[in-house]
Amino acid sequence: MIELAPRHKFGLPIAAPVMPAAGAFGYGDTYHDLVDLRVLGALVTNPVSLNPREAARGQRIAIHGEHFVAHTGLPNSGVQRVLRQYRQLWERLPIPVIVHLIATTPTETAQAAERLAGIPNVVGIELGLIDNITPQRALSLLDAARAEGDLPVIVRVPFHSVDALALRLAEGGADALTLTAPPRAILPVADAPGDDEGIHYLRGRLYGPALLSLLLNTLARWRGKLPVPVIACGGIASPQDAIACLELGATAVQVDALLWRDPTLLQRIAAGLAKFDLSAG
Amino acid sequence: MVKQQDAVFRQAYPTPPYWAARLDVATPPAPGAFVLADLGGPLREALFPAAIDADGFTVMLPPRHPVTRLLPGATVNLLGPLGQGFRLGGATRLLLVAEAACLPPLLPLLDAAPAVALVVEAPTRAQLPSPDRFPPTVELTLVTRDGSTGYLGPLESQEPAPANLQRVLPHLVELIAWAECACFACAPDRYAALAGIVRAARIQPAPDFAQALVQTAMPCGVGACEVCRISTRAGEKHACIEGPVFDMARTFA
Repeated sequence: MIELAPRHKFGLPIAAPVMPAAGAFGYGDTYHDLVDLRVLGALVTNPVSLNPREAARGQRIAIHGEHFVAHTGLPNSGVQRVLRQYRQLWERLPIPVIVHLIATTPTETAQAAERLAGIPNVVGIELGLIDNITPQRALSLLDAARAEGDLPVIVRVPFHSVDALALRLAEGGADALTLTAPPRAILPVADAPGDDEGIHYLRGRLYGPALLSLLLNTLARWRGKLPVPVIACGGIASPQDAIACLELGATAVQVDALLWRDPTLLQRIAAGLAKFDLSAG
Repeated sequence: MVKQQDAVFRQAYPTPPYWAARLDVATPPAPGAFVLADLGGPLREALFPAAIDADGFTVMLPPRHPVTRLLPGATVNLLGPLGQGFRLGGATRLLLVAEAACLPPLLPLLDAAPAVALVVEAPTRAQLPSPDRFPPTVELTLVTRDGSTGYLGPLESQEPAPANLQRVLPHLVELIAWAECACFACAPDRYAALAGIVRAARIQPAPDFAQALVQTAMPCGVGACEVCRISTRAGEKHACIEGPVFDMARTFA
């Protein structure tokens, strides 16, 4: 077993060092025909907020070359309805569930974390922070998530805030860190309504294989400097990519939206990492 | 059950204003349903069948679409068939209504009923498909937004028409009253107004009397990515799994 929260009283053991990233895999009910969930270490759910959120208006995807920007608005039906809809499914899943919580205010974060406490097979919270958050604000959200529940808390660090946040969050009580959330980016939108009205742009989260090199750079810079496990996320598109992350100090990897093109990617990475573990052992 | 399957690309050829591409595959999608094709880009692309047979299907796409650049014999990995297609329920009088750019997914329905009426709207005459592409048994109504041919659009407009031009809306209302089932393929933001026209023309239309195909980005096809969420009268729905064909009068306000 791989321990993702060694400092937590219950820990967060997972059987395999690969999992889907928040927002890529739904709530566990979507890819079961295509992916053998048993090869994964955990399910990281789509982002959940205390209150329901609607989808962003307008265009939500813009593609440019090998990468794309997505802006969904993180729609979800709120933690209470998500639990009503999925808690029985999660209890039956062969892998543990980590709920990705959208951290808005400390009060809302605490209320949402409290509702997740004691849900069968929910073994952890991954806290999603907004971009450009201050360290003080991030720590107050982390405290709120930890105060109202017994679950280990992983914090997904915004791409541009790793230097400012990673060490402080690790020393401030985070049980693990996900490095990183996708960076913010802007791309022109193809086939926008009213082609005559000039170029339209979409601001959102950037995905694509090019992010891997940025991720590896981040991992290399922080290797051995963080007192908690690191989960690598961003641009991982092959078993070799995942192995590179582990060699640079990551404890586990998350596969982001690249799995939409190839859902079997998760299984191939899991198989590749299993061989890697064997050869390393 | 969602599955992956390999298709073989056969050929692509121009059929203005589209390009047609033929794919051989074991399980083609039904009309209104779709497959997600891996064409080498970072995301799969939704392909709706424009013609279906036992050995595969044909899609009609904009010029320069990546499919048209494949070499004959190339293997294309498909996810699906996915989604809920059209449900005609044995209708004998079928009305099809489309913007020209959204028309191809309706083409498999041209011979799906003994009597079919087709209304096609385009910004101008040059963007309409040639009338001789359609079976002679289909009652064809052409609509242009600039009045360059046929009726004057847009479909839902109640504005008075200039002299020598005729608005399409009264004719569309007649066709809705005539039809036993109506299938629409337009930009999704037009469906609320079109649903209003259907509700006005048919008091309490039967379930699935009017069906609307939502063609939007559907990157995952299984409801995971939240990109294809659409607003409906009953909250947000995933176009990829709860659609892409919806009961128009009950879905769009």
